[in-house]
Amino acid sequence: MKRYRLKQFFQDFYLVLVILFLYAPIVTMIVLSFNDTKSRTLWGGFTLRWYADMLQDTAIMNALHNTLLIALLSALAATVIGTAAAIGINSMKKLPRSIVMGVNNIPMLNSDIVTGISLMLAFIAFGISLGFKTVLIAHITFNVPYVLLSVLPKLRQTSRYTYEAALDLGAGPLQAFFKVVFPDILPGVLSGFLMAFTMSLDDFIITHFTRGAGIDTLSTLIYSEVRRGINPSMYALSAIIFLTVLALLILTNFSPEEKKGKTAAGIEAAARKRRRFARIRGGILAAASFSIFAVVSLSTWNRYAASHSDELYVYNWGEYIDESVITQFEEETGIHVTYDLFETNEEMYPVIEAGAVRYDAVCPSDYMIQRMAENGLLAEINFDNLPNLKHIDPVYLEMSREFDPENRYSVPYTWGTVGILYNTKLIEEKNLPVPRRWSDLWNPAYAGEILMQDSVRDAFMVALKSLGYSMNTEDMRELTEARDLLIAQKPLVQAYVIDQVRDKMIGGEAALGVIYSGEMLYLQEEVASQNLDFTLEYVIPEEGTNLWIDSWVIPANARNKENAEKWIDFLCRPDIALKNFEYITYATPNRAAKALLDESLQNNKAIFPDMESLAQSEVYRYLGDETDAVYNSLWKEVKSR
Amino acid sequence: MSQPFIDLQHISKSFDGTLVLDDLCLSVKENSFVTLLGPSGCGKTTTLRIIGGFETPDAGRVIFDGEDITRLPPNKRQLNTVFQKYALFPHMSIADNIAFGLRIRRKPKSYIDDKIRYALRLVNLEGFEHRTVDSLSGGQQQRIAIARAIVNEPRVLLLDEPLGALDLKLRQDMQYELIRLKNELGITFIYVTHDQEEALTMSDTIVVMNQGYIQQMGTPEQIYNEPENAFVADFIGESNILDGLMIRDELVEIAGARFACVDKGFGTNRPVDVVIRPEDIDLVKPEEGTLTGVVTHLIFKGVHYEMEVTTPDGFEWLVHSTDLSPVGERVGIRVDPFDIQIMNKPASEDEEAVGVNE
Repeated sequence: MKRYRLKQFFQDFYLVLVILFLYAPIVTMIVLSFNDTKSRTLWGGFTLRWYADMLQDTAIMNALHNTLLIALLSALAATVIGTAAAIGINSMKKLPRSIVMGVNNIPMLNSDIVTGISLMLAFIAFGISLGFKTVLIAHITFNVPYVLLSVLPKLRQTSRYTYEAALDLGAGPLQAFFKVVFPDILPGVLSGFLMAFTMSLDDFIITHFTRGAGIDTLSTLIYSEVRRGINPSMYALSAIIFLTVLALLILTNFSPEEKKGKTAAGIEAAARKRRRFARIRGGILAAASFSIFAVVSLSTWNRYAASHSDELYVYNWGEYIDESVITQFEEETGIHVTYDLFETNEEMYPVIEAGAVRYDAVCPSDYMIQRMAENGLLAEINFDNLPNLKHIDPVYLEMSREFDPENRYSVPYTWGTVGILYNTKLIEEKNLPVPRRWSDLWNPAYAGEILMQDSVRDAFMVALKSLGYSMNTEDMRELTEARDLLIAQKPLVQAYVIDQVRDKMIGGEAALGVIYSGEMLYLQEEVASQNLDFTLEYVIPEEGTNLWIDSWVIPANARNKENAEKWIDFLCRPDIALKNFEYITYATPNRAAKALLDESLQNNKAIFPDMESLAQSEVYRYLGDETDAVYNSLWKEVKSR
Repeated sequence: MSQPFIDLQHISKSFDGTLVLDDLCLSVKENSFVTLLGPSGCGKTTTLRIIGGFETPDAGRVIFDGEDITRLPPNKRQLNTVFQKYALFPHMSIADNIAFGLRIRRKPKSYIDDKIRYALRLVNLEGFEHRTVDSLSGGQQQRIAIARAIVNEPRVLLLDEPLGALDLKLRQDMQYELIRLKNELGITFIYVTHDQEEALTMSDTIVVMNQGYIQQMGTPEQIYNEPENAFVADFIGESNILDGLMIRDELVEIAGARFACVDKGFGTNRPVDVVIRPEDIDLVKPEEGTLTGVVTHLIFKGVHYEMEVTTPDGFEWLVHSTDLSPVGERVGIRVDPFDIQIMNKPASEDEEAVGVNE
């Protein structure tokens, strides 16, 4: 008896362990979605505000709308196509049937990324511009095999004679199918539909490759948001998606146990129970699909009711605008804005170059503007259409000449520096010196406390500047020297990071980190709002640094150039520039907007450093593909050592 | 005779290059109970499916009441089928199953309700309206399948081995039910089976088929008592088929012994097949028999004993008798002249299949 209990205990224990292993990550995410701080490690009390935020976020709601619409339409289309195909395949002879089923199974086993890329290539090759319809087609494509796979077995169970019996009783072929065969295979059709719906909801990779301007589904949105950092509404959203998919799966797979009743009455009762459940399930499904359909069609209607023939396609960094600005622009001009996000300049470049999506206004960084201009990807801006350009401080236009020598292609949007952010409390506690210079990052006292940027140009900038060289150098001797310096620094570095620098600094995990100035104000506000017991200070190193500018440009293949100019002009308006500054907290080149700021902010030397203190600083230049390759291979040597 | 009700003219059909029916001709009179009987693969089901409209013949015509219906789809034909596996619609109640054909024809509700009640009474399943298909036994499902077919008042009911899946007792009960139904409805039944007992019990006319050819067509008595060839004789009931020599009219020699018979016109000294039913053989004292042999096997079958008697030439005669002769006993064999059936020997295997004997 005791042994039995022990055995039982271990069985249960093992089961719990397995379940814990499988579900701990998801539970963590769901718990964090109720956490009242943005931290991933600290519990700040229970809140529903991320859920509220999520519901108010137009980007999320748009993505939700797209996701549901695509899932619904693609699942419906795939169900019709798949069911029809299953009927055809079912009546084939054995050999052709197994061949066709093999053909059907290959796309399912094929890796998503291959499917995604080949679909994208096919669309581009046939001149279909990427957008909503290409995502829809792609989803239908990968959903059909799943429907086929769930309908076919049902069809094979169905007696051929019931169809013939219906014909015999006077039904035409279609009538016979819908009255007799279809009800019989309906469970298979329904589960095929649900499977397709779920697959479509789930898909990220194929959507990622086939989507175009302004089309984000939840998965692509979550991907870009999570890469950017720590907005917990994404956890809330993920939690809701997980629970939805879970509910769908339970609904698809659960049915009361088929009891082998010996008596006729038993069989009868079991059958009745099964039917009742099937009816309930059918009812829930019908209600669910109806409500999804209602929501989707209502919002589609709203959207189209508000749509105009005037269009503008904008391609910008994530979190790089106050969204109310977009709405305001639409209201004031009547131009409908399709707004898309990118993560890095390098990600943006091929999209513009390929021209599969034609954007009208894009916001790249300095060196990338130079590269795009040199490769003929940019259109000259007609500055007569930009009366608000007068609010931009000419200093920045002068600075822009580094990458846009005649000021023909770009209008500055934000600018900033790269510097060192340090944790005052940690510096004090560990008795470390306050950093002043890049060369401080080689001080062994900081061992294990340094966060470096995980990107070639930024890392080399730090090393080159500390050596007193230009950060745009093409001199091989200077570059190898910088490489050796970076290698020597490796033991001191806690981690090479991009976005995680924010989390780590807020979490107090490192004493100092190389960071873009725009992040600084945001982090300082976060620290204050979370009542943490330390402060973060920013310093621009004395050797000079990277002075960067992100500017608006108009691609050469833009279709709505005048609208793009209206857009850029709108962003130069002082009230709009102020709104954007308050949202993105990156320094604005707009002197009129700056004048509207609090005195303390205007005088904050970290945000708006004196031009004199930047005398040693430079703007990144595009160095050409060959020099780029040299930088990359040297960086690889550093990372792999 | 008036023109036939259903007339199959020179029907041929093959599947994947295998000839299933070859130039088949068959006429069915109105209000008859015709059974297509034969081993599996003989073409009987294909013939039925061609009449039902589920298969189109490669050649030949199907005439129904004077009209060519060869290319008419099944839903336009005035006949209904009862399928081997019942083919009830599993997602419908019994009442909905029965009403299916009537609803397709948009009959009024009161008419349909009456018909359902009538049909259920006819098949002795009153009160089953709201039951589900899977709560019924095989026999009950079969009767519902019949009810579902007959409510449409077909002029012909096609039945494809409808009793094949039932156990023996149920099968016998259903045979009586079908005969009763046929008499009550007064319509034509075309019945397919491989069970010769079923065929003999129910039919007005039996069509014995083999390898796509009709071997013999006639009343159950004719088929049983006067098989036209060895295949029919062998397939219908048990028989002794022996090599014989027709000495002259009304005299045949079997295993060296001469038997009087009633057949004429086979010429003289011609080799023939001789069919003798086991129950037509009388075992007598050795000195009274035309032939003598030794009892080598004995089985009690209930109604009678089944014995095997081996004659000196080595042939084992199957004998049914209510009188017992123990194993090892020497017995005489005697057969009345009218119990001996003489048939021509087929010249080749093909001819055997076709059953040529004229």
